[in-house]
Parts: sequence; structure tokens; C-alpha cells
Amino acid sequence: MSGHDSKYFSTTKKGEIPELKEELNSQYKDKRKDAVKKVIAAMTVGKDVSSLFTDVVNCMQTENLELKKLVYLYLINYAKSQPDLAILAVNTFVKDSQDPNPLIRALAVRTMGCIRVDKITEYLCDPLQRCLKDDDPYVRKTAAICVAKLFDINAELVEDRGFLESLKDLISDNNPMVVANAVAALAEIQENSTRPIFEITSHTLSKLLTALNECTEWGQVFILDALSRYKAADPREAENIVERVTPRLQHANCAVVLSAVKMILQQMELIASTDVVRNLCKKMAPPLVTLLSAEPEIQYVALRNINLIVQRRPTILAHEIKVFFCKYNDPIYVKMEKLEIMIKLASDRNIDQVLLEFKEYATEVDVDFVRKAVRAIGRCAIKLERAAERCISVLLELIKIKVNYVVQEAIIVIKDIFRRYPNTYESIIATLCESLDTLDEPEAKASMIWIIGEYAERIDNADELLESFLESFPEEPAQVQLQLLTATVKLFLKKPTEGPQQMIQVVLNNATVETDNPDLRDRAYIYWRLLSTDPEAAKDVVLAEKPVISDDSNQLDPSLLDELLANIATLSSVYHKPPDAFVTRVKTTASKTEDDDYPDGSEAGYSDTSAQPADGGASPPTTSSGVPYAAARQPAPAPTSTAPAASVPDLLGDLIGLDSSAIVPVDEPAAPGPTLPVVLPAATGQGLQISAQLTRRDGQIFYSMLLENNSQVALDGFMIQFNKNSFGLAAAGPLQVPPLQPGTSTRTLLPMVSFQNMSTGPTSSLLQVAVKNNQQPVWYFNDKISLHIFFAEDGRMERGNFLETWRSLPDSNEIANDFPGIVVNGVEATLDRLAASNMFFIAKRKHANQDVFYFSAKMPRGIPFLIELTTIVGTPGLKCAIKTPDPDMAPLFFEALGTLLNA
Amino acid sequence: MGILFTRMFSSLFGNKEARILVLGLDNAGKTTILYRLQMGEVVSTIPTIGFNVETVQYNNIKFQVWDLGGQTSIRPYWRCYFPNTQAIIYVVDSSDTDRLVIAKEEFHAILEEEELKGSVVLIFANKQDLPGALDDAAVTEALELHKIKNRQWAIFKTSAIKGEGLFEGLDWLSNTLKSGGG
Repeated sequence: MSGHDSKYFSTTKKGEIPELKEELNSQYKDKRKDAVKKVIAAMTVGKDVSSLFTDVVNCMQTENLELKKLVYLYLINYAKSQPDLAILAVNTFVKDSQDPNPLIRALAVRTMGCIRVDKITEYLCDPLQRCLKDDDPYVRKTAAICVAKLFDINAELVEDRGFLESLKDLISDNNPMVVANAVAALAEIQENSTRPIFEITSHTLSKLLTALNECTEWGQVFILDALSRYKAADPREAENIVERVTPRLQHANCAVVLSAVKMILQQMELIASTDVVRNLCKKMAPPLVTLLSAEPEIQYVALRNINLIVQRRPTILAHEIKVFFCKYNDPIYVKMEKLEIMIKLASDRNIDQVLLEFKEYATEVDVDFVRKAVRAIGRCAIKLERAAERCISVLLELIKIKVNYVVQEAIIVIKDIFRRYPNTYESIIATLCESLDTLDEPEAKASMIWIIGEYAERIDNADELLESFLESFPEEPAQVQLQLLTATVKLFLKKPTEGPQQMIQVVLNNATVETDNPDLRDRAYIYWRLLSTDPEAAKDVVLAEKPVISDDSNQLDPSLLDELLANIATLSSVYHKPPDAFVTRVKTTASKTEDDDYPDGSEAGYSDTSAQPADGGASPPTTSSGVPYAAARQPAPAPTSTAPAASVPDLLGDLIGLDSSAIVPVDEPAAPGPTLPVVLPAATGQGLQISAQLTRRDGQIFYSMLLENNSQVALDGFMIQFNKNSFGLAAAGPLQVPPLQPGTSTRTLLPMVSFQNMSTGPTSSLLQVAVKNNQQPVWYFNDKISLHIFFAEDGRMERGNFLETWRSLPDSNEIANDFPGIVVNGVEATLDRLAASNMFFIAKRKHANQDVFYFSAKMPRGIPFLIELTTIVGTPGLKCAIKTPDPDMAPLFFEALGTLLNA
Repeated sequence: MGILFTRMFSSLFGNKEARILVLGLDNAGKTTILYRLQMGEVVSTIPTIGFNVETVQYNNIKFQVWDLGGQTSIRPYWRCYFPNTQAIIYVVDSSDTDRLVIAKEEFHAILEEEELKGSVVLIFANKQDLPGALDDAAVTEALELHKIKNRQWAIFKTSAIKGEGLFEGLDWLSNTLKSGGG
């Protein structure tokens, strides 16, 4: 450093990070620990200390538990931002998972689960495996949860390593907490998977019931939730289970109580004996009532759940209606829910009491609550025929108070009562008409106008009343306008005198000319035409008999109710919405979800189906069930989510969902799948056309086929046979193709085996195939074997290994070929495409103006292919040289490469 | 006299631990050597994905020995451990003649590191117990040790399994560090 100015660069003042770095590397343990604490403090307040990653990780191997925990905390936070460096922590995790101290073992395995870095997960499998079999239950129970976390990161790994089996073994563990956690983990995994993973058998059932009595409260919740999904074999078993679970109803934890209620309700569906059911109902009432003495928030949750329960089993709380009477100091949300349940529990026996309550509520101050109370009276009237009269008299009393909103609300419900009990209570119309002038809400106005129109013949001055409304017709909301229109027409039909005739002219004119509301205009036109063509027909239409209504407000659709009952004690039962309506999650299937593993992009149609988010039945199924492999990967459209729930806003989506699941028959070509080359044209195959191609997927070779029946007859009994070939390719099982109706087609993926019963003679790419069915002669056709389908997924070589292999092979094994027509435009895209076919990029170098790329690939039986591609990016012309112990394959290789690069 | 001597020693080194890195290709025997030095026994090891660190007391010197994983994927992160290093123990699998070239390349790459300019180098020609293992002279040749300039180095034939040669190497290391070579 000769220049004086250099001093400006080597300032003595250090920033916080370098200071911390120095302290972390201090030789004194105390200083290191303090430094880690400082780092954690900085991390907690949001400073980025990720640059200290290695320094902190270096403090990880310590005897000091406190320091270790701090470093672990740091790792959980920053491993994601330093995925490459996270690998440095692996060895310490492995060591810690073998530590003599069970706390450290558990800590290690718990932290491992929280580090969501793909690169290191596979290293963590061995420790996890050990910890699942640990002597200490604390370690085992921690490891169980870790499996669920790992499943979320890499489902395949979990299945490949047999962790699911280990988890299932843990259900038989002698420690109840371990059992509970294993159940929790399995349930969590099941929710994220479409395959049945966790199914309770009679054996596990007894284990769970035993563990239930001994584990912690939250463990009990996990087990109860799992048990509620268990389908008992017979009523006797269901009774037994319920009997073992009923003591849980007395638990102090509300979650345990609700989960137990859920479980009992589910099992009760199976129990036929009315005595047993009645008994159980009796037992469930007190715990549910007790829930209502908790704080308001819990009361609310309990009420929302009770709302569901009483819809299915009203008897449980039939005698407990008093606990749902509102207290003056209940929060409004509790009051509203209580009202709802009171309506549901109201019966001839208790209606007097209930009406007294409602009447009381109708005089309170909270407007919303008062309105709901008035409506509740109306709904009780509609629900209980024998109490209707009493309800109406209460309503009339309330109208007499002349509180504006009470009157309006009463008129709305009285309209419904008229619909429910026609020709019974019309005497009260006179009273209603007294309040006519005070109406200012659209719904109340519309209701009143409907009443006037409907009973025009009984109201002497109906025309005057309507006329008073008509003056403001153009300013009224649409709802009122529509009612006015209809009521005027009714009036005219019932009293075809001069006054109404003039009115109808004005209304029709107003509704057709002055308005821009299409509903109103169209309705007016219909009336107009009806009246002008055939007034008698108009009478039949407009004054037709109306069906009697019933109270169905706030009643859930039975299938939705079923689903919600199965979700009691979850958010779903509080929202009264099925879980997938507010939680979206991508279900992982057993198969791989990446497209990389597929031989070429043309197969993407299939792979997409496996990655499909199962967010509802709205997405049409994309594969026909005649395709065994594809069908297995596809998430089954959840049947419950297609339920035509009235409360679900996306009605159209539901309809589509219903449609597609109902329409798609087995032999329908459902998916616009990949285009396959035609191997048997329809002209040759008497109308049967076959398109097919060999593909590789997840390390397995398939023969992807599309069969189209263009003939006039249905074809069935399809069979396939492959002639001996150079690679010993043969079908691994029978061809599974459903009967093919004329004009339909089907896709199938036929799994193949290779290198069995190979033909002798020179290596050839020829694949001779024979397909027969019961109706036609045997069809023979030729297909080509593209070499790359054999390239194994593990064909990546290390650089050194590659060099060595290249050197070790004699020059006579090197074969070159020119592809004058091929242009490599994008290097990345080309590398990706080759990698998708399991040709792995090793290295790249420049030679003059040319780029030279090296790849490796591996055939079964360990035959390596070393590939050198020379080209000028962007200009036509590519030279390929390969070295392999089996040079006979070279022509086939060049053929395959040509197809791949041309694609 | 003896006490005085010890005092001089402790004043020289204090409680200071000498920081030592154990490097080398994968499967060279680094972890086995570390635990042989620390515990005096052979432990069964698995490939080190990351690092091990142990304190080894020898000849009145505390060595803080960092054993770093040798996998290709981990080698790039060796450099995170270079600062403040007094010595490097480079372990070579003498029987893995195929990969001596790679061992050599990695070795000379390490020597080029600025942060390691001042550290002494001890080479263990390990796995002498295996048949076909090259001796120290052959390993010296293969690693082109004669090219080393401006640095103290030594090579020892070792067998971590049998425990041979390790402490001789450590003797050399402690002497060299004491004499201010580090």
C-alpha cells in the first residue's frame, strides 16, 4: 500500500456485524455465548444478521444447552435465507440426535423439522428414523410430529423412507403421549394427501381408546378427532366406542368436550337402538349446557356448534331451552346466536315461555336484536301451526307500540304468515293498514304492497292505498316497484273497474318506458301482453294458487350439515362453512409433482393433474377412470364440496362441479392430453385409431396410448402384445381399456418392463406391437423405441468421475455424429430439456468460437453414456460425440437426441 | 525450574487454543483421526455433512480441531473456516490412488488462499494399514509437496485405525507452533 489514501479504506471503526463476527469467533466460551445472545436479540428486533450464518453455526457444537437452543433458534429463522450454508449444520444435528441427553435429541429432531430447506432434508432422515425408535418417549413424540412436518416439505421422501409405517407403529406405543402425537401427525398427513394413509383398524382402535384415558388434554383432542372419522363395523362396536368416550364429556377443557360430542354424534349415526340414543342424548346435554357458562367468546363458539347439533338431534337440548334465554348483559353476538337456537328449539310445549321472552326482547334498545326477535316470533308462527295464533297476537301487540322498526319487521313476517296459513288470519289486515304511512323500508313496503295486492278483494280501499304508493313509483327501489307492478295487475284483475284500469296504464307505462331496470321492464311487458291477449289467462297466471311455505331460513342442506357436524370443534363449524371454502391447500399425491422427470414436454397434460389443487369440485376431472395410473394420481374431487349448498356463493362453480362429475362416463376422453403420434391410422384399423408413444415417468417406462373408435360398433376386450425387441420391452400387466363405444376414445398408460427376454441380433429401435379386441382382427403396427426413455434418474456423474470414465474408455468407443439442421438457441432451455430426459449437464467449455457441453446419462445395468455436444449457439449445426462401453447403441442415441433437440 | 518452564509456556500460549483445520477429500479418515486424537479410540463414523469440532490437549497445547466434511458439495464452504487458522492437517487416503490428482488440486488450492498464508501444514498419508497404500515419499511426489514455498510443512505416514503416526505428527505440529512457526 503505497498510496496515502489507502487509509480511508481501512477504517478502524467497525460496524455491528463485524464486531459480532469477531466475538462469535472468540476463543472464550462466555464471550461466544454473549455474542450469540446479541445476535438473537438483533434478529428478534428485525435486524438482518443472516450474514453471520457460518459464525453462529460454528457455535452449535457445544455442551451448553442454552447456547445450543439459541443457535437452533437462529437456524430456524435463517436456514431458509442461506439454504446452501445450512448444510454445515447437518452433522451437528446428526450428532445431537445421538446425544445421551434425551432433551437434546428431541431438540435436534424438532429443530430439524422446522428447517424447511430441501437440500438438507434427506440428510435428516437417518436421525429422524433413529429418533422414531428412541428409548425415550419424549424423543419419540417429538419425532412423530417431525414426520408430519417433513411430509409437508417432501411427501415422497417420507413415503420412500417408510416413515408412515414407523408412525403407524407408534400408535401401538406404550406411552399415551407418543400415541397422541402419532395420531396428530397421521391426521395432519392425511389431510394433505389424497391417498388413504391413516385408517383406524380394530387393533389400533383399542390402542387409541386406551391411550385416550391417559394422555394430556390436547392429546385427547387429537385422538377423539381421529376416532370421529372411524367408521365402526357394527352398532355394537359403535356403542362400545361411545361408552369408552363418554367420560370425556366431563372434561374441564371445552375442546375435549366438543371433540367428544362430535365423536359421539358420528358414532350415533350407526346406533340403531333408540334407548341407547336417548340415553346418549341425555348424557350430552349437561356438558353442552356447561359450555354456556364460560366466557362469551367460548359461549359463541359453543352456540355455533350447538346450532349444528340441534339441527341434527333436537332432542339433546329440547328440555334446556331456558339456558338459551338471553341475559341482559350478553354481548350482542351471543344474543343473536341464542335467538337462533331458541327458534330451533321452540315447540308446542315451550312456546308460551319463548314468546314471552321474544316479546321482552322486542322492547330492548338494540335495533338489530329487536328486529331479529320480531322475526323470530314470525318464524315460530310458521314453524308451529298450533302456536301461530298466539304468535300473531304477540305481533299485533307489538305493532300497537308503534315503534317504527318493530312495525315494519312485523309486517314483513306477517306477509310470510299469510303465505303459510292462507285464508286464516286476514282479519288483521285492517290493523296493518293503519301503519301504512310509517313504512319507509323497502322490504316492509314491498311486503305491505304484496298484502294489498293479494287481498285486494277484501280491502275496500285497496285502489286508494295502492294509488298513494304509485305517486312515488319512479323513486321507489326496484323491490318495491316490482311489487307495485304485480299488485296493481292483481288489483285490476280482481276489480276491473275504471280506477284500477287507469292505474295499470300508468304503471305499465312507467315500468316499460321510464325505467331502465330490465327485470321491471320485462315483467311489465309480460303482464301487458297477457292482459292484452287473454285476460282470463292472465288471471290464471297472476292469481294462481300459491304453494304453502315453510320456515327454511337458516336451515342447512343435509349434506353440508353432515360435513359440518364432522368438523365440530373446528373453525369450520363456527363459520358454518366447509373447510375448503376458506382454506385452500394443495394436496400432495403419491406421485412426483415436478414435470422435470418426464421425458419431454408433451406429457405435461398428465403431470398437471397430479399437481392440481383440490380446492373444490369446481375443477372438472381431467382423466377418465379407464386410465389406471393417471386416475390413481388424480386427487379425487371431494364429494362434499360439490354439495349444492345454498350458502355457498359460487353457485355456478358448484353446478359445473356437479355437472362434470355426473356426466363424465368411464369411456369419455376427458382430458385433452398430450398429442401422441398415430401408429395405427383409422383407415388401416377399420375405424380403430391408435396413437402411442413410450414415455418415462418417475423412473418407470410407460406406453402412453390413445385409442379412438371411429367405427360403427362398440369395441371391447382390448389386449396388447409386444414382439421381442432389442431392449426386452414388454407390458408389465394387461391392457386396461374399457369397452369403447362408437365415436369415443380413451387414454391409458400401460406400465412396461424392460430387459427381459431380449431379442438377439443387432440393436434396433424397432418395436412391433399387436393389439386385438373382440370385434376386429389383430392389428400389427411398428413403433420406435427412443433410447432416452431408458436413461435413469440417477445418471448424474461427478465431474471427476466423468473425466475418469472418459479417459478409461478406449477411443474406439467414441462415436460422433453431425446434426447439420439443429440450432441451439437458448442454452438454459436446451439443458433443461435434456435434463428432463435424464441427460445431466456436467460442464461447459469454450473451444475457439464454439461452445462444448458435456453431459452424462445412464442406461439400466449401469451402462454410462458420456456425451459431448459442440455447437455455436444460435447457428445451425451441432456435433455430438459420445463415449460408451456399448457403442452399438450410438445410432439409437443419435436418433433420440435428434428428436429431443428438434422438438 | 520445571514450574518456571511451565509458566513460560503458559505465558506464551496462555489459555489460547491453537485453531487447526483438518481437511481432505471425503473418506480420507478426517473424522476418525479427530476422535482418535481426542478420545484415543476408533469410533465408527458416517460421512460428515458439515463439521465436527473438538478440543484436543497435547503437549500442553490446546488444539481446537475443526474437522470439515470432504464431500464435493461441502468443499466450497471450507473457506468459511480459514480465518485465524494456525495450522492445517491435510489428510490423504494413500490407498485411493485414483483420486490423488484431485487431492493434489484441492491441496494446492488451499495453499493459494490468502487467509491461510501464515498457517503451517501437516500432511497425513493415512490408511497405511491398507494394502497398496503409497508411502510418504510417493504421496509427497503425488501431491507435489516440493512446490511448497515459504511455509513449514511435514508429512507423516499414519493409520488412524491403528493409531500410528498421529501423535508424531502432533509432536511436530506443537513444536512448530511453539517455535513461532504459526
